[in-house]
Amino acid sequence: MQKKLITPKILSVLTLTSLLALPAFADYEQWEAERATLPKFEREKTVYRVESGKWNGPRLADGQPDVQGQWSNTISNHTNFTDPQGATPGETPRTPLGPRETRAPSRVVDPADGQIPYQPWARALQQEYLKNFNDPVKPEYVEPLARCAPGGPSKSFMWHGYEIRQFPGYLVFLFDSGSRIIHLYKKADKNKKGEQNNKPHLDQKIRLWNGDSRGYWEGNTLYVEVKNNNSKSRFGRTGEFSGTDTIVKERFIFDHKAGRYLYSATYTDPSVFTQPWTLEIPARRVENFAEDGWNNQLGIANHKGKELILEPYEQICTENNGGFGGGSIIGAGNSSPIL
Amino acid sequence: MKSPVNRFAVNNGLCVSASLKKLAGILFLVSLFIFSWQSQAAEKIPRLNGKPDFSGIWQTTSAADYDLEPHSARIDAPPGPGVVEGGEIPYKPEALAKRKQNFDNRFKADPRLKGWTLGVPRGIYYPEPFQIFQRARDLTLVHQFGHSVRTIHTNNTDHPQDPNDWWLGDSRGKWDGDTLVVDVKHFNDETWLDRSGNYHSDALHVVERWTLLDANTIEYTATIEDEKVFVRPWNISVILHRHREKNFQLVEDYRFTLDYDQYYPYPAERAPKAQTK
Repeated sequence: MQKKLITPKILSVLTLTSLLALPAFADYEQWEAERATLPKFEREKTVYRVESGKWNGPRLADGQPDVQGQWSNTISNHTNFTDPQGATPGETPRTPLGPRETRAPSRVVDPADGQIPYQPWARALQQEYLKNFNDPVKPEYVEPLARCAPGGPSKSFMWHGYEIRQFPGYLVFLFDSGSRIIHLYKKADKNKKGEQNNKPHLDQKIRLWNGDSRGYWEGNTLYVEVKNNNSKSRFGRTGEFSGTDTIVKERFIFDHKAGRYLYSATYTDPSVFTQPWTLEIPARRVENFAEDGWNNQLGIANHKGKELILEPYEQICTENNGGFGGGSIIGAGNSSPIL
Repeated sequence: MKSPVNRFAVNNGLCVSASLKKLAGILFLVSLFIFSWQSQAAEKIPRLNGKPDFSGIWQTTSAADYDLEPHSARIDAPPGPGVVEGGEIPYKPEALAKRKQNFDNRFKADPRLKGWTLGVPRGIYYPEPFQIFQRARDLTLVHQFGHSVRTIHTNNTDHPQDPNDWWLGDSRGKWDGDTLVVDVKHFNDETWLDRSGNYHSDALHVVERWTLLDANTIEYTATIEDEKVFVRPWNISVILHRHREKNFQLVEDYRFTLDYDQYYPYPAERAPKAQTK
């Protein structure tokens, strides 16, 4: 079967590029012109703070704060986990980076040193993964996302833009690589057994790339507990990983007016870490920024109405891909990487 | 207030007229009953914004994915009466050779074996659950197999004018009464229609009709058209049942990762002894 060497990202860009050359349908040219004036989605060096409190935005019919739409992180992708705007593993920056404090802080906010509190054996393994990232001579040195594996609970939020869709009892994330369904319940029902909206986690024998998520809303904050993690994804290309006993407690704190939210996740796993630790990833809406094939990957819907409607395209990685992203593989579904 | 009987008693001098009135009354009551019964049946299906609500987790019990056409039991398939209207897929003569080749190579060549996206309509009658999440503007279908996600747009938008070839095509739905009619096209040619090797080209065009027969049953029909492969459009029909088991949920199945997942987060021999179970 023929392999396609086009990533979803490139497909998206190609689609929009080719649309530009088309004769107008309805108000397409006008919509495209409007979009062309939109600002570029810029990376920021500071973390936009949002505090938990009241939700002052619109709500859905079932009472959930309406946070639907396209979002992307504001700092950097997963190239470097603890120095997000720092060097890519194995590569020398084109321009000197300058002092550490001139770049965004570590994603690790607890402990205060900004480092994951690894047990010595796990730190040694992370360093080994880092060292071998660009020349992966063993299968485990290949970063799993480069094989189109899902990014796991946290890494998915520092890859491309992604979509939130909400439904009664559910909040669904649609990522470039994979998706996550969060089962919602009401906080008041948390300790009630047999409640419709308080389904127990899957049996812990079941282990999943994106885990099994249960959450509830309180004010502007979505609280989620992720169990059943297979922990096979990596936090960054810098090799950070979690262990097989991992439990993740997440908070998504939304600021309606700013169109932003702050994600934090506390990882607990005594098999790998010396103590629980917490990471933060800030995000903002992308619809009002220019289409860039990365954060905003939306297309313009074809319709006869007057309003601009943006829509996402199918995101399928493995079948379309020949691997991507440094230290990756060529071909999909191979039993061993082609190095 | 007088009862109807008393009113008839008052008018008992006009016997014929009274009988007619009585008959009309009975007919009225019967029609009321029928109307009420029909309304109750209609009310039994869940609704969202006035439209049928397909939200839920669904799965077919048919043997469609083993072979869409009628087939006897064989080593890789239970027998099945087939779901193709008329019993036979109308291949073009020149397309049959590839059909046969696919069947002969099905143990290796079926894209399902790589965990790849099953496509449309195969994902619908594949024997694993899929979940429908519904909003006014769209339906989101998450298939457990491969965890593929398909969006059916129901916001009066049309197919893109310069589309890609997608694995799941481009789906635009409209309501025909209580039936959701979905036009799907702009496919690639890499998915199969079943595990027996029925196939299509990138000219595939599918028109689906989704109807709730009752709260827990969907009648799913599809007209399949492909000018490169079939001599005429043909129809299939399957029934989808709602999963009602307690706490039932999708369990993610990124099975295309199974080839390499043993290397992560670290190979077993790298695990510290204290952690080895």
